Amino acid sequence: MTLKEPLRVSPVTGRPDRSAGSRPRRRSGRPGAGTLSTFIVPGLMLFLLFVILPVLFAAYVSFFRWNGLGGVPTEFVGLENFQNLLKDEVFLGDLWRLGLIVVLSLLVQLPISFGLAMLLHQRFPGRTAFRLLFFVPYVLTEAVTAVLFRLVFSPRRGFADSLLGSLGIDAQIGWLSDRNIIMFVVFGILTWKFFGFHMILFLAGRQNIPEELYEAAAIDGATRGQAFRSITLPLMGPTARMIVFLSVIGAVQLFDLVYVLTGGGPFHASETLAITMYEQGFQRNQIGYASALSIAMFLISLVFALFYQRFVLNRDLQGSITTSGGTRS
Amino acid sequence: MRNPLFRPRAVVAAGTAAVLALGAAACGDSGESSADLTWWHISNQDPLMSLFQEFADDFESANDLTMDVQPIENQAFKDRMGTAAQSGDMPDIFHTWGGGVLAEQVEAGLVKDLTGQLDCIDQINPIALEPYTIDGKLYGMPFDAGVVGFWYNMDLFAQAGIEQPPATWDEFLAAVEALKAADITPIALAGADKWPGHFYWTYLSMRLAGLDGLEAAADAGDFSDPAFVQAGEMLAELAAMEPFQEGFESTVYAEADGQAAIMGEGLAAMELMGQWAPQAQRDNSGTEGPENLGFFPFPSVEGGVGTTTEFLGGGNGYAVAADAPDSALDFLCDFMAPENYSRAVAEGNLTPVAADPASVAPEMSEDTQKVVDALAGATGTQLYLDQAYPPAIGGVINDATEGLLLGQVTPEDFVAMVNEAWAAEQ
Repeated sequence: MTLKEPLRVSPVTGRPDRSAGSRPRRRSGRPGAGTLSTFIVPGLMLFLLFVILPVLFAAYVSFFRWNGLGGVPTEFVGLENFQNLLKDEVFLGDLWRLGLIVVLSLLVQLPISFGLAMLLHQRFPGRTAFRLLFFVPYVLTEAVTAVLFRLVFSPRRGFADSLLGSLGIDAQIGWLSDRNIIMFVVFGILTWKFFGFHMILFLAGRQNIPEELYEAAAIDGATRGQAFRSITLPLMGPTARMIVFLSVIGAVQLFDLVYVLTGGGPFHASETLAITMYEQGFQRNQIGYASALSIAMFLISLVFALFYQRFVLNRDLQGSITTSGGTRS
Repeated sequence: MRNPLFRPRAVVAAGTAAVLALGAAACGDSGESSADLTWWHISNQDPLMSLFQEFADDFESANDLTMDVQPIENQAFKDRMGTAAQSGDMPDIFHTWGGGVLAEQVEAGLVKDLTGQLDCIDQINPIALEPYTIDGKLYGMPFDAGVVGFWYNMDLFAQAGIEQPPATWDEFLAAVEALKAADITPIALAGADKWPGHFYWTYLSMRLAGLDGLEAAADAGDFSDPAFVQAGEMLAELAAMEPFQEGFESTVYAEADGQAAIMGEGLAAMELMGQWAPQAQRDNSGTEGPENLGFFPFPSVEGGVGTTTEFLGGGNGYAVAADAPDSALDFLCDFMAPENYSRAVAEGNLTPVAADPASVAPEMSEDTQKVVDALAGATGTQLYLDQAYPPAIGGVINDATEGLLLGQVTPEDFVAMVNEAWAAEQ
């Protein structure tokens, strides 16, 4: 990009404004190398040691057949692991299920969170209690959530079957054992777990919209519907785009909840990329293959993050260099 | 020094923060422990869990050292051992079933050679040492050995009008029919755990191809013999009769509503399981277990070369990490000392591996006696395939069996998957 920055003009003097340039003047000059390194080196070291190095190592290992035991990998197999990956029905199924979770999240989970946030923005008695209550599932760890729902969906005396039974419905639903519905059960639990978190984010975004805008709109004669369409929706954009980002990255990394709930079963019907990687790597000792899978996961996340930032978040992120990639929603 | 960041205090604070962060990140989840001896075992339920802790406590005070005892659930143990082995950071004493998994750890130099190192090894029946012997060297000490067979609820069988436990596969299928007709769940199965299912395919293969046929297939890495396809077909046929409890696809073995608990509560008529089954039934269900629990060997299959005196089996043992202190060896012999071992056998209903069972178990429980009798009359044994073979192949067999039971994998696919896994392993 060789675009020249447009010259800024002081609105007062009409002359080029020096103080508003891209590099504002400092009273005490630029920070010295010592200051910079004091701040940067510790963080950078951790980042190199625990993020960059493992990624590079995984990339290296993914070209080998290696059981992970004893010394370094020696049996170089080139791209074989990646070729096998593309033939692996479980891996392809993982991608399909990832797509399903993402689509369902965007179409079901986020609208629910958004709607609840709008409701809980209104003033009514018990508002705080509701906010708290909806946020509680997010506070539980994923493993605890999964154990909880294993009990709820236990086939003989689980809460779900008892509840239906006391309503006179003998449904005989194989909540966790029917391959055709397991993904929807998993998605339901994910929604239960995460809607509160997304709701709080939406709520915060809504509270950032100044009330003056609504007052002005009301004075101009706008109906509440018009105000919602023209003020709330566009100004909630940045929040929504960030939540979508967190949801997708979270879906790519989905592991604990599903692993404890179903172990990826029945017969891979609820398996995720991370579970396949874990099983191949740590149960079957195929570290090379699992590394190839982890590199695939890394690339999926990276490509998504880059494209999303370039084309979707570009306005939201203007002026900041940092991103929030990699955090779990 | 106008810059406040160069004040010594600030630099020290920043440095300390960095070191702390590094330290915290480095600690992580590792098998490392400050204790002199770490012991990972899978007896994570009482009475054995408390008893083993007691052994450790006694050994601690007698030898003036500290022990870190970690009782870990079976499946979780396999997961944790996987990561421990890969990081090379093994617990000093750890549970093992021997076979291919142990062989892989031995090859990586992670396991201590126990040949001639254990004074107490003479007390153990040499046959029990076989799964832990690799290239003529001993790498584990067994404390329990037994066989897999059908544990059945005699009262439920009687209710369904079955007078004799089935001796042939046809009789077995007829018994399943009869139980279903009497509205009794014939078989409890932990489908989600996969390994309980692999007992069925293995046994059918053993009955059809015989132990020699199975061994030849493993040596050649080729399961193309029609017997193995037929084993898959017969298992698929059984699964098609829907003999398992409702929701077996998501059932695990050891849980409050798992396979063992279902048997313990008398909600299913039988399970194909090892010598630990009666104890697990009681532990997981919190009941006294079925009043009349019987045992019969896996039935014979018409036209197959295997016999009902050939058993799938194996035992439980402990191996020692290559870099473990000598006190680990002392502890194993302390464990095997008659006053300790006889308590473990009696309270935990272990099947004794002692050369002279009567010395440690003068009064064996009825259930244990059944396994001991079966083992005494055995003409051959086969270690569980998911332990006998390298993990990559054992994993495929477990996985493919689950697919077969759920109708997602055909018997031909099954064999192809296993062959492919062997080919990749060569």
